[in-house]
Amino acid sequence: MRRLTLPVIRHAFVVLSLVSFVGAANAQQPTVRVAYGDVPGVEAMGFLIALERIKERGMKIELMTLKSEDLATQAVANGQAEIGVGTPYAPMQRLGVPLRLFYQLSTLRFFPVVNGEFYKTWKDLDGQDFVVHSRGSGTEAIATLMAQRNGIKFKSISYVPGSEVRALAMLRGNIKATIVDTANKRFLESQAPGKFIFLPMGDVQATDDALFARQEWLQQNAQTADLIVEEFLKVWRAIKADPNFVAEQRVKYNLLPDLPANLQADIVPYYKEAAEANVYPIDGGRAKAVSEDFAFFTISGAIKGDPTTLKAEDYWDLGPLDRALAKLGS
Amino acid sequence: MATSVAEAGTARPVRTRFANVLFWRLVSIALVLGAWEIAGRIPVSFAFPPFSATFAAFVGIILDGTLPAAYLTTLQPLATGLVVSAVFGVMFGVLMGLSRTAEWALAPVFIVMQAAPMAALIPLVTFVYGIGLTAKVLAVCLLAAPVIVLNTYKAVRTVSPSLLDMCRSFLGTPLQQVTKVILPAAGPVIFAGLRLGVAAGFIGIVLAELLITPTGIGDIITYSSSIADYPTMYATIASLIVFAGVTVSILQQVETRFVRPEKRA
Repeated sequence: MRRLTLPVIRHAFVVLSLVSFVGAANAQQPTVRVAYGDVPGVEAMGFLIALERIKERGMKIELMTLKSEDLATQAVANGQAEIGVGTPYAPMQRLGVPLRLFYQLSTLRFFPVVNGEFYKTWKDLDGQDFVVHSRGSGTEAIATLMAQRNGIKFKSISYVPGSEVRALAMLRGNIKATIVDTANKRFLESQAPGKFIFLPMGDVQATDDALFARQEWLQQNAQTADLIVEEFLKVWRAIKADPNFVAEQRVKYNLLPDLPANLQADIVPYYKEAAEANVYPIDGGRAKAVSEDFAFFTISGAIKGDPTTLKAEDYWDLGPLDRALAKLGS
Repeated sequence: MATSVAEAGTARPVRTRFANVLFWRLVSIALVLGAWEIAGRIPVSFAFPPFSATFAAFVGIILDGTLPAAYLTTLQPLATGLVVSAVFGVMFGVLMGLSRTAEWALAPVFIVMQAAPMAALIPLVTFVYGIGLTAKVLAVCLLAAPVIVLNTYKAVRTVSPSLLDMCRSFLGTPLQQVTKVILPAAGPVIFAGLRLGVAAGFIGIVLAELLITPTGIGDIITYSSSIADYPTMYATIASLIVFAGVTVSILQQVETRFVRPEKRA
């Protein structure tokens, strides 16, 4: 009996220590789950490349694609993901959800467009119908802002979600004035050259997407956050330097291999235009992005209150960005 | 004297029974709301508000007129869609029940419609019918009509043959067979189909207002979710559940009163 027990105990000890060693190794290197509330397309390619590069630096990254930004926010807040993509200002302010934005991925890029047969300028839209994405959206904030700046008042603002749906409705003549995104601007230009007029927007800057995480996660995982921000900065700067970069890296990492040919052809022109328009900022946003966001999102209704009295530290943790900029140079 | 004693004797148990039923109903409602309050206070998720906050939001949107205005907007496509589905649904159902050719031509269409995942198909409606009222009415019809048609068709098809034989033996004309025998006999099941159709119509309008364009109730849900005003979002959803429940039970009362008098208590 004794002869049988000792080897069993010895084996059990070896197995246990192995398990605990593997467990400890995993505990040192936990997977960082990234919640992305959209279907990744051409515009997400830079983001996917950055994730691949972070993986190359030995970090475990798992991308979760969800239906909407709201779900990504909930996943991060509930601890089902570590990092989210979006601008969850409303839950942070209204519900006190302890999230912090820490890297500005992209700035809003929208194009007010009108049917040239009916309107030519912003002034022509005085007393006319205007269509935006949804109530409280960035597109509505742009419409409000443009009406203010041009001294006009729309007869009504109606809501049609989806840039592609609005673009289609413009082509069919169901609507005459709206706002579309870059991809659908190009779609309208290619389908009906000269039919539509894109109105000037002036200087409107705000975050479209940012990386965010739980405040306590950012504090406890400063090194991880620093590494992530560094890689994003490097990729964003490479895109700015060479718009072909994304197409090349896509081949290297075999990203979105099922992308249709017409969208593949769109990659280089898209990133060229985006780089010129500074859609992907090369400094992660910094304090400037925060104050621009406060000004913009108070108009959209996502944030309440006077933009000048809002505190950056209640919404952003600029620590990882400052450290990365100090390392890489601003 | 003897009569009045007897009346008093039957009245009391009925009243007691009613009070009992009411008591247990109130207890069950209180239990559910209490559980909701506790779950909201834990909280289960930051996006799940307690009942008290939801109720306060409900009172708020009623008083400022948001909810009544939203219902007025939502009811327009809903009512249109339901009337269209009820009228044409019953007509097609009866036709399919009476004629084998109509059954052969139409039954597969409605069976496929009933089985199809409508939430996935509704966005396709916009490709054909755009984003206006027509698309929303169609969304309501797509969900409500198959239930109404198939119930009516089955109801007509399963009318007892002996009743029809009797009508024929009394030299009833085909029209009399339909109006005097088939429709009265099929009435209860047709009505059950209408009730289910109305319930499905509510699903249709919510899907349309969330997936096509946010107007009315869909607008409050989408907007309050986008600005993280979850109490208002839940208050709207809860009001819709109550509204749908009340509408369906009113229909049930109508059914009991006019179509199935034998069921009246």
